[in-house]
Amino acid sequence: MLKNFVKIAIRNLLRSKGFSVINILGLAVGMASAILILLWIQNEMSYDQFHEKKDRIVEVWNKATFDGNLNCWNTTPKVLARTLERDFPEVEQSVRVDWNNDHLFSVGEKRITLKGSPVDSNFFQVFSFRLLKGQTNTVLNDQHNIVLTESTARKLFGDEEPMGKIIKLDNSDNFTVTGIVKDLPNNTRFNFEYLLPWSYVRFKGNDDNNWGNNSTRTYALLKPGINLEGLQKKLKTLKQKYQPEETKWEMFVYPITKWRLYSSFKNGVEDGGRIVFVRLFGIIACFILLIACINFMNLSTARSEKRAKEVGIRKVVGAHKNSLILQFIGESILLAFIAGIIALLIVQLALPGFNTLTSKQLYIQYNNILFWLTGLGFIALTGIVAGSYPAFYLSSFQPVSVLKGTFKKAHALVTPRKILVVLQFTFAIILIICTIIVKQQINYAQNRESGYNKDNLVFHFLTGDLEKNYNLVKNDLLASNAAVSVTKTSAPLTQSWSDGWGQEWEGKDPNDKTDFRRYNADQDLVKTIGLTLVKGRDFNLKEYPTDSTAMMINESALKVFKFKEPLGQIIKDNGRQWHIVGVFKDFILESPYQPTRPMLVYGLKSNWFGVVQIKLNGKNKTEANLKTAEAIFKKYNPEYPFEYKFVDEDYAKKFESEQTTGKLSGIFSVLTIFISCLGLFGLATYMAENRIKEIGIRKVLGASVTHITALLSRDFFILILISFAIASPISWWFMHNWLMGYPYRTDIELWVFLLAAGLSFFIAFISVSSQSIKAAMANPVKSLRTE
Amino acid sequence: MIKITALEKIYRTDEVETIALNKLSMDIKKGEFVAVMGPSGCGKSTLLNILGLLDDPDAGSFVFNDTEIAHFNERQRADLRKHNIGFVFQSFNLIDELTVFENVELPLIYTGVKPSERKKKVEEVLEKVQIMHRRNHYPQQLSGGQQQRVAVARAVVNNPKLILADEPTGNLDSSNGNEVMELLTNMNEQGTTIIMVTHSEHDARYSHRIIRMLDGQTVTENILV
Repeated sequence: MLKNFVKIAIRNLLRSKGFSVINILGLAVGMASAILILLWIQNEMSYDQFHEKKDRIVEVWNKATFDGNLNCWNTTPKVLARTLERDFPEVEQSVRVDWNNDHLFSVGEKRITLKGSPVDSNFFQVFSFRLLKGQTNTVLNDQHNIVLTESTARKLFGDEEPMGKIIKLDNSDNFTVTGIVKDLPNNTRFNFEYLLPWSYVRFKGNDDNNWGNNSTRTYALLKPGINLEGLQKKLKTLKQKYQPEETKWEMFVYPITKWRLYSSFKNGVEDGGRIVFVRLFGIIACFILLIACINFMNLSTARSEKRAKEVGIRKVVGAHKNSLILQFIGESILLAFIAGIIALLIVQLALPGFNTLTSKQLYIQYNNILFWLTGLGFIALTGIVAGSYPAFYLSSFQPVSVLKGTFKKAHALVTPRKILVVLQFTFAIILIICTIIVKQQINYAQNRESGYNKDNLVFHFLTGDLEKNYNLVKNDLLASNAAVSVTKTSAPLTQSWSDGWGQEWEGKDPNDKTDFRRYNADQDLVKTIGLTLVKGRDFNLKEYPTDSTAMMINESALKVFKFKEPLGQIIKDNGRQWHIVGVFKDFILESPYQPTRPMLVYGLKSNWFGVVQIKLNGKNKTEANLKTAEAIFKKYNPEYPFEYKFVDEDYAKKFESEQTTGKLSGIFSVLTIFISCLGLFGLATYMAENRIKEIGIRKVLGASVTHITALLSRDFFILILISFAIASPISWWFMHNWLMGYPYRTDIELWVFLLAAGLSFFIAFISVSSQSIKAAMANPVKSLRTE
Repeated sequence: MIKITALEKIYRTDEVETIALNKLSMDIKKGEFVAVMGPSGCGKSTLLNILGLLDDPDAGSFVFNDTEIAHFNERQRADLRKHNIGFVFQSFNLIDELTVFENVELPLIYTGVKPSERKKKVEEVLEKVQIMHRRNHYPQQLSGGQQQRVAVARAVVNNPKLILADEPTGNLDSSNGNEVMELLTNMNEQGTTIIMVTHSEHDARYSHRIIRMLDGQTVTENILV
């Protein structure tokens, strides 16, 4: 019986090659999209789930109120880890993992900057990163031990044995390699290239017991069978115990299993996090697959007449309905299987691009039996979903009507098929509208005036001796003509590294608790980055030596101060008096989607600088400028590599996440449209074939080609119109909510919908018209004679 | 073998009500060869469909092999059909995607016959209808007569007790038609009951008895043998 089914299925496939190709291709593309999304989801869900003790590992968080908002965050005092071990019997051990830092590695002549972090020596006892070399318990015992990842070791030592080798860090301290850890998997929050022992932090004098200094991350391994709620209750008052003034500052632990997907808080409660994206992507995957299945159903049922006779005969010779249902579902599983193989090929080809887009390293685990089982299950499910409707539809044919030829031909689109087409196009149109609006929002933010001039502007962190030699570097850069202006600042122009309230000024409302962005700069800030001055002048120490305690403010800050004449006003901050010399137009320091905040720029006396900003000479070629600059940097900071960044590139990163959203929704809409069009094309072909006699008669009676083309296309256009009517409000609602998340946002305009409508009509027209025209052009004599 | 009493079948569309069978009764004995004749629309095909368990009567009794089956459900009818009844259609109704051999094999598959035995039976019956040399051909590659011989082979491969033939020669020329009629006669001689609907007086003469119908009723019966 099975053999017979397979035979029939394959012969049917081969007989109508066009339909088979459309069917399988549509299904394959749908499956491939779903597989890619599922890989992404699987990766997201598996973050840090590989730790053997994951059920017992937690991270310590704070919960406290600032600016009227209840905030939750995960930086903790350094002293917390040992306190947890001492005060809480529930805690087996606690590990500090500091934030990643760049360090300069010197091995022989090699100089490489690598990122890694200091950790407590019990790191490997808590987290399951596999040590290829070295002992879990002792690997970080000495303050000058270092653990490298496999690829870091290869970078530094090539094929030589790395264990026991000496590395010089930041030109000062020598470390011995005591462990090699397997490269980190693609699903962990950690991303170090090496680990240093915490004892080195102590050795450098950077450890402290200050409960007010929240500066590191603290993890804890709980003893088995600990009741988390009891522990949470005790943690609430921990901060207060050691810092009695913090009466409302609570601490809590957050389990490792929720880190990746849920750790987003609003007013002290979880408010979604990445799980929202995971769900959204899951829904999209289901929809794309569903659309591909709908195609399959549509094409299969449209071709039903060709199978009707077979159904009739099988029933006459004794087939039960069930056996026919089984046969047709079996057929669609076979098709799904072929499509699945093609889908796997597509996925393999698309993965590199998809990985770039999503910044991931996803791959298919071909050697994993679970993958194959899931894959087969997935194929079977797809086959059953796609085959169910056709199977029930086909198997319900009455043999009498089929075999006597009284079987009614599907002249028009039958209702369920209409609904399916509408469903497909509704989804496609929603995606088109969303894509356009996401792109519009990105453009809107990109076109927003940044407030400074990014042309020819580069920056470099003050590594090694750069801060010490800053003036020499600056002078050489200007003298060499590679730069027209140079200044140093506390942070890059694209990030806020410091903010605070409590400044004093004349006429200040005692209740004012405005949080100002704080930024430090040397002279020539306005000149270098091209700020627009509204009042006053740039910092200028040559002409005004007191400018080392000068301050410039932005217009938003001026609004807070309410000075009639800001210049010369005194702002007290951190025990120092700053006099305002200039007011500049707000520039975008943080998100281009957010309003700018009040900002204070402190002069040279602020004494904390991290970045040199260089305005390159536009008259020279950029490469030449950079080459000159590199030579100067090498001269004054020989041990460190020259690692400049373009400010405009840095600024562009602010749009990355939205751009990814835009690209993904763009790709999904193209795929959805592609699959839907395949289906539409198939249906149109079928309809044209079926109405060939009608067309012949109409032509004999005098209908023109245009008339017939219009007649055949009309049905489809009505369906698209209905889809559009359904899709518009849904996508409006969806995008309206999305945009509400951006204070600085574009409006949803009518033309977007009109464009989407036009686009879908155009696409549908292309899919349908070729078949309609072909049918309309055919010679009627031919079609009528065959009847 | 078959006894129908006061059988009724009415087709209704929105506006028109057509009485296809009007309190029809008849009796067919085992081993008989009966021809049913009558003008188009007299109810012959409806009768054949009901006899073949492809359709339900609206009223009346249908006893097949001493069992009342007028109210059997679809599954029961399918089971009864596949073991007892073979069909021959005017338009052959072979499955285009299957070869001659596979078409004939089909009923055996549904009755659960083992593959080795299937092969034997199919070859036997293909020999009988003299189409063995074409066993691996597809229906489109055969002439009409050959196709109908395959259809007959398919109808008898299960050794049915009853063959229902619906104008078996309607699409054939006379020599091919005669061949098929010989074949049916042959089957009948070997004990199979045959009921044949036909327009052809010539073909009807192969039968033992001609039942003439008009407006859903029998009008005359001619016993030929």
